[in-house]
Amino acid sequence: MKRHFLTTAAALLLALGAVGCQDTVNTVENRDPAMTPDSVDTRAFSTDSFCRDRLALISMRRSTTPGGVMMVQAQIRSERYGFWSELWSGMTGTNPYHVLYRFDWLDGSGMAVSTAANAWQPLIFAPGEVKFIQGVAPNARCRDFVLSVREAPSAR
Amino acid sequence: MRHSTLLMTAALSAALLCGCSTPARRIDPTTQGLTTVRDVNTRDWNDVAARAVNSLIASGALVRPDGRKAIVMINQVKNRTGSRARTQILTNKLRQAMLASGKALTTTAVGGRGPEDNATRQVRELENDDLFNQATVQKRGTVISPDLSLSGEIINQSTRAGRTTENTFYFHVVLTDLATGLATWEDNFEITKQETVNIFGY
Repeated sequence: MKRHFLTTAAALLLALGAVGCQDTVNTVENRDPAMTPDSVDTRAFSTDSFCRDRLALISMRRSTTPGGVMMVQAQIRSERYGFWSELWSGMTGTNPYHVLYRFDWLDGSGMAVSTAANAWQPLIFAPGEVKFIQGVAPNARCRDFVLSVREAPSAR
Repeated sequence: MRHSTLLMTAALSAALLCGCSTPARRIDPTTQGLTTVRDVNTRDWNDVAARAVNSLIASGALVRPDGRKAIVMINQVKNRTGSRARTQILTNKLRQAMLASGKALTTTAVGGRGPEDNATRQVRELENDDLFNQATVQKRGTVISPDLSLSGEIINQSTRAGRTTENTFYFHVVLTDLATGLATWEDNFEITKQETVNIFGY
């Protein structure tokens, strides 16, 4: 009985230790924002349930640069916080969370526009961290975009 | 008997060594490319180029008030790191992005290390060659001078603590207005890589 208790206590301590080592991000912002963003209605197609559950798209906004090209910004938060998420990522060595993202741009006819900037780019999230990723259209003919996100191999 | 055992052992060792090789194949540099601490790798170039292109296009620095396309000269991006970084990879991607933007054209008649394409000057030397129809020879005074110059440098800082080595590459890119000498756009991009070797040093 005593041995069982000790084992459980040790396991619990280890788990708490693993979770306690995580540095989660805490945020604060003004309750009544003064900004008037142009939000984009999004439609997602997700094939990776892990990535879908670990990242939350908070907002997707669009604006125009001084050169007249479209610019979009995705606000993404890492959902890998909380006891079990932190325990798992601590045990598997996947904290911080590494993902890759890429913007593809489409012209008015829906044809993809080639750009030097559409390579997969790395992004690293601490638990609970909010990041803003921005994509700029290669030229003023671009009307739409597709944002792709995937886990980096080191995140698995 | 002993000789055959030795031969067998040697053959088995050779077979094992051959089994460790990987035939040449195409890879996805984003996920399968090599990452080394001391060098700028393919995925680093892609990442920095994408960030630089986004920053440059978003800045609107290529837009001229008169509506004419800006003419950009590609100057040097100096490599001040210890590694053999090919900085043309970055400038080539930037010039591709500038052309695609529709706001600028790049000139190959002048460059940081002389003209990238000598042909602009060479064809004008045909004006005294009676082999050529002089009406078709390019005239002097028609080449357009650049408005902007793209330049930059890459530096790095390396730190070592115990078995861990950290190397940060700093990319600094500038677009200069040649009329005024003022920088109309500049940005910095950093890439930090870290490696911890085992007690045997690899």
